Amino acid sequence: MTDRVTSIAGRPPQPVSGALHVCATVERGAFRLDADVGAEPGEVVGVLGPNGAGKSTLLRAIAGLTPVTTGRIVLGEDVLDDADRGIFRRPEQRPVGVVFQNYRLFPHLTVRANVAFAARCRGMRRGPAGHVADGWLRRLALTDFADRKPAQLSGGQAQRVALARALAADPDLLLLDEPLAALDVQTHAEVQGELRAHLADFPGPTLFVTHDPIEALLLASRIVILEQGLITQQGTPTEITSRPRTPYVARLVGMNLYAGHASAGVVALDGGGVLVAPDAADGRVLVALRPSALTVYAEEPHASSARNIWPASITALAPLGDRIRLTAVGAQTVFADVTASAVAELQLIPGRPVWLTAKATDLVAYPEPMAG
Amino acid sequence: MVSPAAARRIRRDRAPGRTRPPMLLAAPALIGFGFLVLPLLALLVRAPWRGLGRLLSDSQVLTALRLSLECASAATAASLVLGVPLAWVLARVRFPGLALVRALVTLPLVLPPVVGGVALLMALGRNGIVGRYLDEWFGVTLPFTTAGVIVAETFVAMPFLVVTVEGALRSSDLGLEEAAATLGASRITVFGRVTLPLIGPSVLAGAVLCWARALGEFGATITFAGNYPGTTRTLTLQVYNTLETDPQAAIALGLVLLLVAVLVLAALRDRWLRAGSAP
Repeated sequence: MTDRVTSIAGRPPQPVSGALHVCATVERGAFRLDADVGAEPGEVVGVLGPNGAGKSTLLRAIAGLTPVTTGRIVLGEDVLDDADRGIFRRPEQRPVGVVFQNYRLFPHLTVRANVAFAARCRGMRRGPAGHVADGWLRRLALTDFADRKPAQLSGGQAQRVALARALAADPDLLLLDEPLAALDVQTHAEVQGELRAHLADFPGPTLFVTHDPIEALLLASRIVILEQGLITQQGTPTEITSRPRTPYVARLVGMNLYAGHASAGVVALDGGGVLVAPDAADGRVLVALRPSALTVYAEEPHASSARNIWPASITALAPLGDRIRLTAVGAQTVFADVTASAVAELQLIPGRPVWLTAKATDLVAYPEPMAG
Repeated sequence: MVSPAAARRIRRDRAPGRTRPPMLLAAPALIGFGFLVLPLLALLVRAPWRGLGRLLSDSQVLTALRLSLECASAATAASLVLGVPLAWVLARVRFPGLALVRALVTLPLVLPPVVGGVALLMALGRNGIVGRYLDEWFGVTLPFTTAGVIVAETFVAMPFLVVTVEGALRSSDLGLEEAAATLGASRITVFGRVTLPLIGPSVLAGAVLCWARALGEFGATITFAGNYPGTTRTLTLQVYNTLETDPQAAIALGLVLLLVAVLVLAALRDRWLRAGSAP
């Protein structure tokens, strides 16, 4: 008896499920999503983008809740969508588990019945389906809440139930919509670690969407940036944070980002100003600069060894952790992090003219991606 | 600083519904209320309380009462079987002509029941466009039978159920149905395990409303099914019949129907009587 439950709930070694490949467009009114993303088995891909970028549309298309306009969605050997061949698998026929943003637990069912739902849909009787559910409830430490109704759960518990319910359907692909957004700040931190562990246990590909960069950086092994229906950057969290490719990503990861034309180590920036970046290859480049790599002077520094020195005027100051982030406008807008004592010492107030310096070695220059 | 009396006055003025209404509204409101309550009051005042037991235990009355309850219940059952799926289609399926279909479904709500009865005769009567074949092929005749009573009551009462259930379906959470689909539930499973349980209270309310309407049905019934004691003479028809021969009995029957109405209202109090609440 127990063995049987484990065999369903405990996931013994089994053939690794296939990778997810999405190459499709979805048009909804004036909005168009053009996505080319994939996820390997065991990989956790975070799709990060601002509101209205098409993240939910992407998720819904993969789940079969929104039909694709053109292109294909393939999971392993399974063709879920193929617009050209008129293939569309209905959501209930896709081996795709979804954890929705507000969990969408069935309010009229107990936690156990929620988790047993998928098994019941496959025609399993109430008893055996309940045993399957109990296995998942044990794994996610939900046994004590089995007889509760969703309304009696905390946010973190409800999220675990939603995850258990999706996993109990034995999906080949797991989708999560803003997995932590509905939680309060304290629960957020608590659930994050657990969720990471549970996602790591899932053998198939996992794809989640979020607008929260912290969530993406903490949960994802690879991040895909989606802006206005287009994928603008993909990479590991480290790649994304060190080499942002769009102003959106730069803002998310708190970097200064400038586009320009490099020639012999000197970058002429679009919109004016030059930066000395010896590593920059000739041609169109992006230059990233950490706000903490900048030094602020009240007078023009003559003794500085930094190769980049330019005047600017402070426009805003905002506390950021134990630092203060100031915004200064010169030839370009720049963010610089300074200590509170520096602010007091140099009397940095909005409107004050200052000099900024940056060492050439702190500039990260890389070729600008093709437009589109 | 505001004096306590002034503070009380402010509080009183601010509390909604506590202000003294202007006479121009209060007077017609009072007359309107009196107009609605007076007949009910008269029924209670003139009721033959002493002879009530004898009047209501009359075999004709008991037959009519049983017939009424049976027919109204059968009509409600038919309305549930046909009306809930109809409501689902109206609420969930997009098709050209949807607005027209919805208008046609709700038409019996405003159609004079007598006209409904005539229309039913044209459709299902012995020479009706469908009734002719029912008679020829199956030997089934609906007019002037108990089944005819059920048909007439269903025609008049089903829209009440459809409208109530459709409203509930429209305001129910589609997200839950999507979640069920991603868990492998077919559309019929979603309907049975998620949609229906969630709108259960509304279905019940619609059924009670439908049943009450069927019980009170008169015009369509008498036109389509006639007025034969034992087979088609329901309680309302009995009231109409006895009013000339035995007014006391008519009043007694009226009391019974009034009691039923009060019970229905009590059953639906949470839905319809809470002012300002959405149905």
